[in-house]
Amino acid sequence: MLAKDCIAFATANGADGIRISLSKSITDSCTMLNGELDKVSHSADRSIFIYLFADGRYGTFSTNRLEKAELEDFILKAIAMVRMLGEDRCRTLPAPERMAKDATNGQELHLYDLTYENSDAESRLKCLRNLSIFNSHEKMDTFSLISEECEYTESYEDCVLVDSQGFEGRHTETSFSAFTEMTIEDCDGNKYSGFWWEAFPMKADLGICKCGEIALKRAVRQIGPKNRKGGRYRMVVDTNVASRLVSPIFTALNASSIQQKMSFLDKSLGKQVFPEGMTLMDMARTPGKAGSRLFDTEGVATSDSPIIENGFVRQYFTNTYMSNKMDMKATVEDISRPCLQPYLKGNTLPYKEKDLSLEDILRISGNGILVTGFNGGNCNPVTGDYSFGIEGFAFSKGRITHPVKEMLITGNLMELWNNLLAAGSDARPSVRWQIPSLAFEDVSFSA
Amino acid sequence: MNITQYYLDLFKVNRRQLEDLISTALRYGGDFSDLYFEHTTYFNLLLKDGVVSSGGFHTDFGVGIRVLTGEKTGYAYSENTSMEDMVKAAKAAAAIASGCSGHKVYKPTDDRRHDFYPVERDWRLFDAGHFVPFLTGLEQAVFSKDSRIVKVIARLSDSVSDVMMYNSFGELTCETRPMGSISVTAVFQQGEKTENKSVARSFRKGAELISPSLIEEIAKEIVAGIDERFCAIRPKGGQMSVVMGAGASGILLHEAMGHAFEADFNRKGQSIFSDKMGCRICPEGIDIVDDGTIMWNRGSGNYDDEGVPGEKTYMVKNGILNSYLHDRISASWYGVQSTGNGRRENFRYNPIPRMRATYMESGNADPKDIITSVKKGIYVDEFSNGQVKIGEGDFTFFVKSGCLIENGCLTAPVKDINIIGNGPQALSDIAAIGNDLKIDNGTWTCGKEQSVPVSCGMPTVLVKKLIVGGDQ
Repeated sequence: MLAKDCIAFATANGADGIRISLSKSITDSCTMLNGELDKVSHSADRSIFIYLFADGRYGTFSTNRLEKAELEDFILKAIAMVRMLGEDRCRTLPAPERMAKDATNGQELHLYDLTYENSDAESRLKCLRNLSIFNSHEKMDTFSLISEECEYTESYEDCVLVDSQGFEGRHTETSFSAFTEMTIEDCDGNKYSGFWWEAFPMKADLGICKCGEIALKRAVRQIGPKNRKGGRYRMVVDTNVASRLVSPIFTALNASSIQQKMSFLDKSLGKQVFPEGMTLMDMARTPGKAGSRLFDTEGVATSDSPIIENGFVRQYFTNTYMSNKMDMKATVEDISRPCLQPYLKGNTLPYKEKDLSLEDILRISGNGILVTGFNGGNCNPVTGDYSFGIEGFAFSKGRITHPVKEMLITGNLMELWNNLLAAGSDARPSVRWQIPSLAFEDVSFSA
Repeated sequence: MNITQYYLDLFKVNRRQLEDLISTALRYGGDFSDLYFEHTTYFNLLLKDGVVSSGGFHTDFGVGIRVLTGEKTGYAYSENTSMEDMVKAAKAAAAIASGCSGHKVYKPTDDRRHDFYPVERDWRLFDAGHFVPFLTGLEQAVFSKDSRIVKVIARLSDSVSDVMMYNSFGELTCETRPMGSISVTAVFQQGEKTENKSVARSFRKGAELISPSLIEEIAKEIVAGIDERFCAIRPKGGQMSVVMGAGASGILLHEAMGHAFEADFNRKGQSIFSDKMGCRICPEGIDIVDDGTIMWNRGSGNYDDEGVPGEKTYMVKNGILNSYLHDRISASWYGVQSTGNGRRENFRYNPIPRMRATYMESGNADPKDIITSVKKGIYVDEFSNGQVKIGEGDFTFFVKSGCLIENGCLTAPVKDINIIGNGPQALSDIAAIGNDLKIDNGTWTCGKEQSVPVSCGMPTVLVKKLIVGGDQ
C-alpha cells in the first residue's frame, strides 16, 4: 500500500516513471567467546528505495523515514533533484513483457522457513551453546587452543518491488547460520586460525553443526608451514575459495564494464574464449537454494540459462539502461546463482560419469599446490592480469604433503581459465556460488 | 538555541528520556550503557559519457543502544526515536546482563574537545545544480590532458552525520561530521592497448572542498605515469628489497601491524602481538602512529563513536610497542584509558577498535639515497587493496604501479602485482626511513566487520625483503 501511494504521489507531482523497493529485515545473533556468552544483538530494519524517472532524467533515493508527511517531502525533493541532472533518454523502466509474473506471495521459491516465527532468544542460545567445543576440547601436546569464537544468526528478509507500469513482485527468505573461528598456538609460539560456517534458508538443514571441529582441524593442519621455491606448478583450488577466480569473469561480462571499455571480455559474446567443454550456468530459479530469485533489482524475470556454454560466451549482463545505450538485447542485471559444471580436460562433453571430489582432482593433478585461501590481491578489469596471495598445501602424487607459506600467484585470468584441467562436483550445497574445486595447469607461483 | 538543544530536538528526545533509557538498559545490571543517535544524509552524483545522468540522496536515522557487562555486549537499535520503540530496543540490549555478573570498572572520559573539521559551507545547503558544473569541468580538464583518454567517469559524494551520544556516566556528546569525496577514473587507449587509472580525494570538509584547484590537481595526477603504464612489465617474482614510496605506502602499516595492534584481537589472544607490549618490534628510531587529530583528515574524529575525544596514539615509539588501539571495552580490560578508537559504521553496529589515520613519522634519510642504496629490488608507489591474517601476521597489498630498481636506478615500470610478507618480520626488516612523510588522502575504507573511513601515510621506506608476485 505504501509503495503504491508513493507511486501515485510521485506520478501526480511530475515523475514519468518510478520503481519502489520496500524492504523489511530482522536479524538476531548471539556470539560466544571461549565457551561464554559474549554478545547478543537484535536488529530490525525498514527502508524504501526509490528509482525515479522524470523528463528523461534519472536518480535513486532511499530513506528509512517512512512517515507519510516526511516521505512526501522526500519524494518532492527527489523529483526536484532529478530535474537538475543531465538528460539521458536511455534511462527507462524495463519493457513490461520482460517482468516476472510469478512472484506474488514471495514464497514461491521455498526460501521462507515457517518455523522462524516460533524462534525465540532461548532457542537461539541453545543453538549457540551447541556450537561451542571450547570446554570439551581435549588438550593436545602439539598445540594449545587460544580462543574460540562462535556465532549463531537467524534472519528474515521481505522485499516488495513495485513500479508505475503495474509490476508487483515479492521475495521473502529466512536464513539460519552458524560460524566458528578457532585460534591455536603451536609449541614454538606460532599462531594459526581456522574458521568454518554453514548457512541455509531452512533451519532443519542446518542440523547439528560441526563448525567447531572443522574450524579446529583447518587451524591445526596449518602447523609447520614450509617455504617452497617459486616456479610453475599445477594449482588445485578448494571449492570453498574457488569463486574468487570466477567473480572477475562476471564483472567483465557486465555490459556496463564493456560500454566503459573496462572489460577483458569485450567483443567475446558468441565466441569461444573459454575451453571447449566448460559450461557455467545461472541457476536462478532453483527452489530452496541460496541465491535463487524470480526477479532481479529491475523486476525482470530471471531464468535458468547458460552464461558460458561449451566455452562460448552466451550472455552479457545487460540491464535496461545498457540495452538502450548499446542497442543490445536486454537480460537480467547480474548473476543470481552461478553453477560451474564438472569438467575434465580432453572430454568434449561435461564430465558426467561420476562425482569428482577434491581428492579425485588432487589425484588427477598429481603434483602441485592446493590453494585453500586467498590473501589479498586483485585482477585488472581491463587486462585480466591478476596477482593474489595464497595459502594452502603442497601435494605430491595426489596426496597433501605440507602447508606452504608466503606464496603468490600471478598471471592472466583468461590464460588461467584456458589452462583449466578439471572442475569437480563438490560445491557445497549451502552456498550461493556453486563453484566446485578447480585444477589448473602451469600457474606461476612466487615465493 | 544552544548547540546541544539542536541535537535533542533533531532526535526528538529530552535529557530525562535519555536517563530513563539508560535505566531501562541497565535494568538487569551491567557495568555501562550508552546510546548512539545518528541522522546521516548521503548525496552522490555520477558523470559518465559526458553527462551527469544519475545521482541521488539517502537518509539514515536511528539510535543504537548498548549494554556492557564486563566485556560482554548487548546491542539493539531502533530506526525511530519514539520512546516506545527505544524502550523495546533497550530491553533487548539489557538481556546480556541477565545471568552475567559484571566485574569491570568503566571510567568517565575527560572532555578535551577540539574541532578537527571546521566547516565553511555545509553540504546540505547546496543542491545538485551547484555541483554539476564541477563534475563537467573536471571531465573536460581530464580529457584536455591526454588525447589517448577515451572514457572518463567522475563521481562526487558527500555525507553529513549529526551524532548525539549519551552514556551511563551522564556524558552527553554531540557533533556533526562532514565528509566529501571526489573520484575519477580515466580509460586510455594506445593502439590495441587499454589502460585505466583512478584518482580520488576525500576529506572531512564541507562544500568548500569543491574548487578549480582541485580539478587541476586531479587532472594532472590522473595522467601522471600513464606512459610508463603502457610499457609496464610484470617482473620476475620472488623475494627482493622493496622501497615503499611516500604516501599511500602507509597501507603496509595498516595491514602489517595496524590491525594486529587493535586491542580486541590482543585481548582475545588472537594477535601475533598479543604478548609483545613493551618489547622491541622494529629497529630504533621508528615511530608509528594512529592519529585522530589531523585537520580535515578522512580518519579524524573530534570524538570516537563512544564519545571519547580523538587523540594521537603512538603505537610504536622508538621501535618499542607502546600502545594498542582501544575502545572502552579493551581499555577497561587492560586498565588503561581508551585511545578513542571505538568506531562503528553507523547506529546499526556496536563500536569496536578501529584505526583512524595510520602513519610512520619521518626519519632522516634522503629518499634518493634510499633508492640509490638498492642494488636489485622494486619501488612501489600506487596501491589498491590489502589484507592481513591477524594470528599469523601474514599480510598482502596490491601494487598498481611501480618500477624495478637496478644498481640504484629506477628502470622498467611494473604494474598489477601483489606483495606478501609477515608483519613482525617486515617491521624488523625496515632498513631506512626517508624524511618525506606524506599522508595519502584517497578514499581509503577499512572493512573489518564494518566499513569505516580511514587514511594512511608513510615516508619513503626501504624494507630489506618482501615477496613480490611475478613471472617464473
